[in-house]
Amino acid sequence: MTHTAQLAELRRADEPRFGGKSANLGELIAAGIPVPPGFAVAATAHRRVGDEPVRAEISRRYAALGEPPVAVRSSAVGEDSADASFAGQQESYLWMCGADRVWDAVRDCWASLHSREALAYRARMGGPEEPAMGVTVQAMVDAAVSGVMFTCNPVNGDPSTVAVNASWGLGTAVVGGEVTPDEYRVSKVTGEVIRRTIGPKAIEYVRGAARSDVPAERQKVACLDEEQLGALVEVARRVERHFGSHQDIEWALDRDGSLFVLQSRPVTAVRKRDAGPARSAVEIVMGRFGADRR
Amino acid sequence: MPDFPSPFSIETPAGCDGWQEMYPYWSVFDERRRESDENRLWFWNSQHFPFPMPPFDMVEVDHPYYTLGGWQNRAFAVPPAMGVDYRVVNGYVYISPNPVTDPDKIAERAGYFQKRAGYYFENWEDLYRGWRSKMEALNREVESIVVPDLPEYEPDEVVFGERNLSNIDLLRAYSHTLRCAEMMWQHHFEFLLLGYGAYLTFAEFVREQLPDIPDQHISQMVAGIDVVLFRADAELRRLARLAIDTDVDGAFVEGRSPAEIDADLSESEDGRRWLDELERIKDPWFNMGTGDGLYHYYGSWHDDPSIPYASLTGHIEALKAGKDVERPTEKLAKERDRLAEGYGAVLDEESRPAFQELLGLARTVFPLVEEHKFYCDYWFQSRFFNKVREFGALLAKHRFIDDGEDIFNLSRHEAMEALEELSLTWSTGSQALGPQHWPPIVARRRELLERLGEWTPPPALGAMPEAVSDPIVVMLWGITPQRLAEWASAEDGGELSGAAASPGEVEGPARVVRGLGDLDTVRAGEILVCTITSPAWAPIFSKITATVTDIGGIMSHAAIVSREYGLPAVVGTGRATARIRTGQRLRVDGSAGRVTILDDS
Repeated sequence: MTHTAQLAELRRADEPRFGGKSANLGELIAAGIPVPPGFAVAATAHRRVGDEPVRAEISRRYAALGEPPVAVRSSAVGEDSADASFAGQQESYLWMCGADRVWDAVRDCWASLHSREALAYRARMGGPEEPAMGVTVQAMVDAAVSGVMFTCNPVNGDPSTVAVNASWGLGTAVVGGEVTPDEYRVSKVTGEVIRRTIGPKAIEYVRGAARSDVPAERQKVACLDEEQLGALVEVARRVERHFGSHQDIEWALDRDGSLFVLQSRPVTAVRKRDAGPARSAVEIVMGRFGADRR
Repeated sequence: MPDFPSPFSIETPAGCDGWQEMYPYWSVFDERRRESDENRLWFWNSQHFPFPMPPFDMVEVDHPYYTLGGWQNRAFAVPPAMGVDYRVVNGYVYISPNPVTDPDKIAERAGYFQKRAGYYFENWEDLYRGWRSKMEALNREVESIVVPDLPEYEPDEVVFGERNLSNIDLLRAYSHTLRCAEMMWQHHFEFLLLGYGAYLTFAEFVREQLPDIPDQHISQMVAGIDVVLFRADAELRRLARLAIDTDVDGAFVEGRSPAEIDADLSESEDGRRWLDELERIKDPWFNMGTGDGLYHYYGSWHDDPSIPYASLTGHIEALKAGKDVERPTEKLAKERDRLAEGYGAVLDEESRPAFQELLGLARTVFPLVEEHKFYCDYWFQSRFFNKVREFGALLAKHRFIDDGEDIFNLSRHEAMEALEELSLTWSTGSQALGPQHWPPIVARRRELLERLGEWTPPPALGAMPEAVSDPIVVMLWGITPQRLAEWASAEDGGELSGAAASPGEVEGPARVVRGLGDLDTVRAGEILVCTITSPAWAPIFSKITATVTDIGGIMSHAAIVSREYGLPAVVGTGRATARIRTGQRLRVDGSAGRVTILDDS
């Protein structure tokens, strides 16, 4: 097995070979965070796309996983994690069933590197002509509720709160901006829900990535309760602690209520709070009285 | 931005012409100061003076403002702020800060301020210890002042010893009493600005770094656990247990007066022992106030023991029902540390040291911020006003006034005049004019104060300022551009906003309570709507479902107690008691600081 690896085997150092997403998921697993099982395809395999051994290796990995429905996503090398916006240029193929469909999806990921949008993006951002691209293959989570959370308040930068967006079904609806999700602001310090805004969650993506209308009586119901929010905040704390920086985490709750993290990226565009020059408490108080030391 | 009404445009309520004669000549809006007075902002200091001022109680206006200004402007030289001016309008106190605007002057003052305030911050604990001793000494001093009777013949010591003539001692005693009040206010403001400043700087720093933090977490991180204000009730809980243990609790029947309970207790040996124990804690714990200190009609538990007796009866009942009546001090302390550690941990390395240092300083200064109320506003004030009552009783005995309480309808200077005439006519044996002079004046003022009490003062007068730069005004009165804009736009549509003091949302009927006398009208399940609360109100917090006050911030008594009882509270709405009527249905959102009148008509 030279072109693939189990996600659980990967660490940060594997990023050049397997891409940021796969390496990151490996890190999360190592930190004890629940992540759907799966495997990674190395970026080097890309240039050998015609090779039967690559395809056979992917099939064997898929069989070892138990041939479940999977999500196939690109895992770019060198730009995924910090340069979050590039991730949006890449493809996700959900609910892929059977070794043939998985192989097609892997090839489609590679092909997306040459999409007009990706080329234009690289031209603008000055990326490499021919970037390297790994692929992540993960068991699908049959999500009852999913969403995104930030380990700080993304608007005002408050590091003491976790901001959770959540909606019914798969995360596609939230990430793609197709619904106005529920918004929760939860204190990391006390676990209290500081703010709760229930969104009109009109549609959801369910098993098979099918888009469907949410019945009226479920639209304005909070899709997370205190206990589920508590579990999310606990995971947010652990992920933040593991990476040592604020994270933007995609997550899903399956129909049995188990929580999975699907992806975690550093938050880049958050307002940095200026603590000012280092001053003693008395100096700060003096300043409050209009007596700054000059 | 619209300006507020000109202070010179305020009409006198019907039947109140000549109200100005109750107050010092310098205290009113006067044509000779029109130009400067009309072009600055004045706001009603409803926080300290919610009611029209009885003439004697102007002591509580003049003394604070000349000691506040003394410390702030002349001693510490707070760079951008001199003192606070006041004016009386229709009996109500309006104030206005005096800013320093010249940059060179500000820089010059900063030099003084750093050196002098720095000395206080560096030596806070020692200085505060010294402060407590001098306040206790002052409280005992005012209590020990002897108001001499005026006898037919002077005692022998006047002739054969060094004792003063009684009328001379009388005048000296009166001056001494007033000088004690000045001293109290001097002590009161000595540290207070620096203490508030340090606390509020911490609060602002935390809000800047952690914008989502609930206000109550900020105060919880700082508030003391075992502060003097809670000790009085702790003693009552101990006495409640003692009553049960020694089997004398049967004397405490709801509805009985303290005198009836005492009479019942004094019939048994154990009962008398319990009463002795109560006697022992009265000094100092019965100096707890029944109001917020600044009016003569607020007393202490000494003056109105029905308050501590009601608490005793309540504690005994709860204990017998197997309930835990202790303040959960251990839990509170643990929570305080958990919050401090938790918030410290989420901050980055650049801001964490400042957070910890500011928290440390805030905790150092906070005992004074919390405890000065007991030493000054409760203990001293109740002793001071009772001493003044002794002079009132003497004037009444000589028929200068009908009743001792009438002395509060004279200004402090007029009371001196009356005492001087009494001194003169007692010594000469001639006829005094006072008995014909003062009673009609007192009667007119009683009428004036009653009528002025029905008038609702506008929150602000004069010009809208470009900016509110005086740190003291922001700290002590919460005057922010936002608050001024709210005042200027006045319309409310059945909604009031205030500080979110204790979280939760509740709907229910309102009960407007204007003073201690109305407390027994409160029924279980009602929402308390009041001007302000004090420790004396403790017994009703177990009945009500939420609290709404006109006055106060997140550190006010109502806010602290509501949090302890887990009741939603919105404080500092400015006009809840004027706007809400008993029986109206309210929704109180203590998390958002909003009160909605649901059946407004």
